[in-house]
Amino acid sequence: MNAQTKSPLSVRRRSLVLAAGAALAAPLSVHAQAGEDIVIGGSIPMTGVFAFAGIGINAGIADYVKIVNDAGGIKGRKLRYVPEDTGYKVDASVAAFKKITSQNKVNLYYGDSTGFSKTINPELDRSGQILMAGASFATELNDPAKYPNQFLVGPDYTEMFGILLKHIAKEKPGAKVAFVYSDSEFGRDPIEASEAAAKKLGLSVAVKLMTPPGSVDVSTEVIKLRRANPDYTIFHGYVLAPIPEFVQQGKQMGMTSKWMGTFWTMDSSTVMKMGEAGDGFMGVMPYRYYYDTSAKSPMLDKIRQMRPEYQSTAYTQGFLTAMLFTEAAKRTLDAGKPLDGKNLKAALNTIKDFDTGGLIGVPITIKGNSIPVGRVYTADMKAQKMVPSSDWIKLD
Amino acid sequence: MRIGTLKQSYIADAALFDSHTQKTWLGVGTALLLLFPFMASDYWLYLACLVAINVASATGLNILTGYTGLVSLGQAAFMGLGAYTVAIMQTRLGTPFLLNLVAGGIVAMLGGLVVGIPSLRVKGLYLAIATIAASFITHFLFANLKLTGGTSGLSLPPAQLFGLALDTSFRLYWVIVPVTLLMVLGAANLFRTRIGRAFIAIRDRDISAEVLGIPLLRYKLLSFGLSSFYAGVAGGLWAYFFRVVTPESFPLLMSIFFLAAIIVGGMGTILGGILGAFFMTMVPELLKLVFDLLPGGTEMTVFLSPVRTVVFGLLIVGFLVFEPHGLAEVWRRIRRFFHLWPFRS
Amino acid sequence: MDWAYLFEIALNGVASGGLYALAALAFVLVYKATRVVNIAIGEMLMIGAYLFFAFAASFSLPIWLAVLGAVLGTGLLGAVVERTMIRPLLGEPPISVFMVTVGLASILVGLVEIVWTADQRRLPEFLPKTPVMIGDAFLAPKVAYGSLVALVLIVLVLLVFRFWRGGVALRATASDQAAAYSMGINVPRVFSLAWVASAMIAAVAGIIVGSIGGISSSMGVFGLSVLVVVIVGGLDSVLGALVGGVFIGLVEALAGSYLGGEYKLLATFVVLVGVLMIRPYGLFGTHEIERL
Repeated sequence: MNAQTKSPLSVRRRSLVLAAGAALAAPLSVHAQAGEDIVIGGSIPMTGVFAFAGIGINAGIADYVKIVNDAGGIKGRKLRYVPEDTGYKVDASVAAFKKITSQNKVNLYYGDSTGFSKTINPELDRSGQILMAGASFATELNDPAKYPNQFLVGPDYTEMFGILLKHIAKEKPGAKVAFVYSDSEFGRDPIEASEAAAKKLGLSVAVKLMTPPGSVDVSTEVIKLRRANPDYTIFHGYVLAPIPEFVQQGKQMGMTSKWMGTFWTMDSSTVMKMGEAGDGFMGVMPYRYYYDTSAKSPMLDKIRQMRPEYQSTAYTQGFLTAMLFTEAAKRTLDAGKPLDGKNLKAALNTIKDFDTGGLIGVPITIKGNSIPVGRVYTADMKAQKMVPSSDWIKLD
Repeated sequence: MRIGTLKQSYIADAALFDSHTQKTWLGVGTALLLLFPFMASDYWLYLACLVAINVASATGLNILTGYTGLVSLGQAAFMGLGAYTVAIMQTRLGTPFLLNLVAGGIVAMLGGLVVGIPSLRVKGLYLAIATIAASFITHFLFANLKLTGGTSGLSLPPAQLFGLALDTSFRLYWVIVPVTLLMVLGAANLFRTRIGRAFIAIRDRDISAEVLGIPLLRYKLLSFGLSSFYAGVAGGLWAYFFRVVTPESFPLLMSIFFLAAIIVGGMGTILGGILGAFFMTMVPELLKLVFDLLPGGTEMTVFLSPVRTVVFGLLIVGFLVFEPHGLAEVWRRIRRFFHLWPFRS
Repeated sequence: MDWAYLFEIALNGVASGGLYALAALAFVLVYKATRVVNIAIGEMLMIGAYLFFAFAASFSLPIWLAVLGAVLGTGLLGAVVERTMIRPLLGEPPISVFMVTVGLASILVGLVEIVWTADQRRLPEFLPKTPVMIGDAFLAPKVAYGSLVALVLIVLVLLVFRFWRGGVALRATASDQAAAYSMGINVPRVFSLAWVASAMIAAVAGIIVGSIGGISSSMGVFGLSVLVVVIVGGLDSVLGALVGGVFIGLVEALAGSYLGGEYKLLATFVVLVGVLMIRPYGLFGTHEIERL
């Protein structure tokens, strides 16, 4: 920096000021080089309809950050997690994003919903500084061309259906499948593509039922379902209600269909709330459950040590997101590149046959924006646990 | 202390700002508005733009509900019409953004005229319920038409003004705030004219108004049209601000928010619309600040959202029970105190 | 034309309409006596369901005691609301009272979220499980028994209005407050009675609706469908609540089955607009004549 000034200060005075300035600046610049925290910002739905997930996600990210920092951080730099509650509302999420990014230098961000991820995408592209993941598994986000700075921590909803359909085609070729989904973006997301996928696997889609959001009485839908007489019924777009009602009424009316669900229904505590209607309920889950001891999983053991009480799959999702964030940041810094959206994403895409410490049962590769791996689990009401009913299925 | 406001001409009497003090404060206010974006962080600019959009929409609702007495729970639906129009025109036609805003306002106005047609047949709460029906029907249209992108909605590129992309809150501020100011001034001016007085007459007793020669259907439709034009423009600004429009962006809860804003602010006054929108937008932020200061850390943040809901409800109930004329009345009392000081009221 | 299918759909529609009728009854009671449109009726339903949940699941009381507790608790809430929020607004324009109930709805939702969080839950099962069969048609048992309860309660209320002094006092207050005062009717007491009775019926409706669809803090949106029912039936007619409820239930079931799930709400609101244009006071409502 050119230190020429036009002030009438004497030479001695000038050099004194410069020396003082340099003395002050030196420790600051050293501090900036070595210890600058890597910030993970989060719009987390800790209240509202998604609160059960938000609290889990928050704990998961916080725990992993603690593990990393206790081990010395990433190349000496500590991770800092800055969450804000959003109540699962898009405008609150956007407000939280703006607040956190204006107060911190953020390179990694966790978003709470599909709506938020879509809204903030132009902003991410413009600033180019942030790699984002989140609670959404929307098919639309699984597009590296349109969403280059984002990724999904698991299979997208269409891939989840794909895993279920693959399992069905193996168990009962040519089976009749029914889709029951909610009238929302979440619900409608995978239906069209999954119908095509089903046909490709030789399965027939007996009926597609859409329920209005917040509907209480589903008896007319159950009648329609019964008439279609499917072998398998897949629910999507719900957390809990109205699935138990469907299953209960269906069983009462003599239906022999097997019942299945997707990620957000398949947390152990949610399925157990279904009561006896939930016995035999199946679904796809890309992670191992908290109590799973079927194989060696050092990370799961560590989680069980840190948290003695049951942690939901949302916790695992948050934990895994932080793990992938850390890995992407580490690889970027190892390559000597600065932390920005493009480099972090490129580093993420170098993840091949990566061992998640047992959280996902097989080593994972992140080619595009998603991790298309999952396993089918079935609910055992007597043991109050989810037990695996298939191998780890990978889609390509 | 004000001794008297003596006017010598009718025009001076009908002026919006009549005293020197008012004009000076107006000058100060304008200066503050001009300086604000240079001093504020991105977050506060974001809030300022949001407040401005809400002020515009609340003023529109005030014209319909506060001044004409026609209760409407469809304000969010009209905003949605404006927002979708803007989104569709921007993405498909690429027309300049001011044109899009005006077009959004016009489409919303047409929607408002349609919804206003039952207003001759039904009144009061029945009309409110008809507007709820309108809001559901528009939601259905947004979610099921190919044109509007279905449930995933539409995302639009930033507005372009003289080749500059309006993609930060700072740049949008310079567009949103002047547009809002224009609209508010327009509304204030409306109530100095014949049309405005007709609206007030309809609110007070519409049968009497008809007897006095005010054609009810024409003026009621005009009121609906005008207020939904305001909502449409506000919706268009909203679309450029958030850049994503989905059917879930304009729920019934938003209409309730605006109705609450004008009640808390003061129905039937322009200042009420401004104060109410400002207050209701900032209260959640204030709550967040309070929660941040409370001891207990993350344990307490779980309660932020439900407490926000409770506070929202309490504000509505509280103002209706204790101060039915809203914040504008509180403001008027403060002004009166300063006008009469050192004398008491 | 698959008549058996149509019959089955129509049967289920009518039965679920019975649930609407029950909630509409609670609404009509309040409007009939105090001319207040209580948009928070869905939320009062929710409070009844949550109180039942608290008594039956958290405190493990026997079912009948939990039901009683929930009903009485909600009745108490009705009385408190009437005293603190409705009474001070006597004489204000109806829009103000309407907005107070909107505020009340928000407060109730927030309170439920604070105590029980926004998670969806299921109520303990207590309704019989065997499906009801009418010929070849299946009828979901919960819905069937629920609408049976609704029918019984509605008939009871109709009789009460006709024959009991309190019921007559309610009707008197509804038609002319001033005259009721001068006849020696304790009008404030009648108001409280109406709100308490309405809240208790809402609690019963809430327990039934909750046991079918589960409970959550967004249960109150059920109230919007009820609004349509009372407009169709008439804001102040008990019989209208029954007829309107059954009609709307039928329309929803038919629309949902033949057109698709997304058309359910649309069909309901189109009916609403139609009724508002043709018979704004509903099928059985009293025509309000406005004078200068």
